[in-house]
Amino acid sequence: MALLETHGLTKSFGALTAVNAVTLRVEAGAVHSVIGPNGAGKTTLFNLLTGAFPPSSGQLFFDGKDITGTPSHRVAHLGLARSFQRTNVFPALSLLDNVWIAAFARNVSRRGLTWRRAQHYPETTERARSALADVGLAEKANHLAREISHGEQRQLELAIALAAAPRVLLLDEPAAGLSPDETRKMVALVRALRGRYTVVLIEHKMDIIMNVSDRISVMHFGSLIAEGTPAEIQRNPDVRRAYLGGAAA
Amino acid sequence: MRALVLILAAICVLPLIVRPAIAAEIWIFAIFGLGLNLLLGYTGLLSFGQSTFFGSAAYVAGYLLKHHAIGLPLALGVGIGIGALSALLVGYLCVQRSGLYFIMLTFALNQLFYFVAYQWTSVTGGEDGMPGIPRPAILGIGLTEPLHYYLLVSALFLLALGLMKRIVESPLGKILQAIRENEVRADAVGYNVPRFKLAAFVIGGAFSGAAGVLYAMLFGIVPLEAIGFVFSGNVVFATLIGGSGSLYGPIIGSFVFIWLSESMSVVWARWPLLLGVAFVIVVLFFRGGVVEAWSRLWRFSKRTA
Repeated sequence: MALLETHGLTKSFGALTAVNAVTLRVEAGAVHSVIGPNGAGKTTLFNLLTGAFPPSSGQLFFDGKDITGTPSHRVAHLGLARSFQRTNVFPALSLLDNVWIAAFARNVSRRGLTWRRAQHYPETTERARSALADVGLAEKANHLAREISHGEQRQLELAIALAAAPRVLLLDEPAAGLSPDETRKMVALVRALRGRYTVVLIEHKMDIIMNVSDRISVMHFGSLIAEGTPAEIQRNPDVRRAYLGGAAA
Repeated sequence: MRALVLILAAICVLPLIVRPAIAAEIWIFAIFGLGLNLLLGYTGLLSFGQSTFFGSAAYVAGYLLKHHAIGLPLALGVGIGIGALSALLVGYLCVQRSGLYFIMLTFALNQLFYFVAYQWTSVTGGEDGMPGIPRPAILGIGLTEPLHYYLLVSALFLLALGLMKRIVESPLGKILQAIRENEVRADAVGYNVPRFKLAAFVIGGAFSGAAGVLYAMLFGIVPLEAIGFVFSGNVVFATLIGGSGSLYGPIIGSFVFIWLSESMSVVWARWPLLLGVAFVIVVLFFRGGVVEAWSRLWRFSKRTA
């Protein structure tokens, strides 16, 4: 069954249609990648999926429920967590606090919100620590986010998404700006998530895509032009034209 | 723990150095600063309209004290309630905007309240202020004796500090800091950012309200300035000088500000110039205020020792 589904999702900014009638089905447990040249509308699609802004038309379903137009902070409570293309952490807070905030957001009960000391939420803290451990940052829990390297910040970015115990994980270019060595680490991390989470992945680096994806959707000028397994996508002539030939039609 | 000992020592020593009324004013202003700093230091919201809550609470509680002879606990309760309520009203309008627009809105709404107080002379006394506010006795102890009132204010200040400490160490405190650091991400992980900002306003307003009532009873009058923008600016000023990055910053700021203004204003009419110089030094060299200057000095002396 499809966990996340869109029907004719469209977003226009004035005369520009950034996402054009996208119909997408993300199967539960799959790693589903969205690729496409720069400006194809991938990040806008992500913003629509997480409710950062409402679509101009079309519908969005999560677990069979229509969630079109739900604001982003409520979408997060449903179990959709995202990471950002440009590192988007809480710089002056410790790594542990960075993930703790995300873990606490998912608690159904907010008892003691203004009164109980933050250390007195053992279950939340445990979840936060294990998210840090998942990305290999457990030892740096007490460092400030602004003090760690760019590569580590990308890992933290992922940990914040994981700490929310999501059902669907939306990763926007997790390897953006990483060195080859750091990229290999990140690929291993994303591969390790396979099976534990339903993942929607945006990426530019083909080696990552072909390595980890179960299914791939290709976007071009806001529209989906192809969908299939990695092997099918590699053979698809439309995709080749989109990437190599410039204006494909 | 060390901070608490220092504060307790200061509470004991202060009335020996300055008049008890000035000593009381320092702790009252510190309560006001604690409320502001939840917004300024923890949530990253520069409110230029804190005297709205301070003044409204002082007027309403002052009126009830004067004309209806209510008791002290009730007067405090009313002040806290009015402070929170006015903050809810103002905050609701302000959190819809951000950056410069947010600051200007807090300022503009402050002016609105100011002119209501200015015009409504039959109740507020307009420019002359609202004089004749009594200090009712509590538990059979009269508070007309300045030192008695000082002790009450000190006790309430300690209570306010303890409360604020719990608040900033709670999940709410962490969430507010997360909003300060990165609003977009705080929203993305699932927090309703405007609602949390509003919560910070209301709590800050409650603290301001308590300070306002204590201020009215201290001087026996609610002056029009208590709801004016200069007063709003002073608390921001004091907090920045003390250090907005720390829970204790506004307390130190209040001490520096009130002490300077009381001791220097007698000697030199142009004393605000000194504040200006202090402010420039803070902005240029010690963004974390006195708290940061102190910790740097501490580290420096340790290294050289």
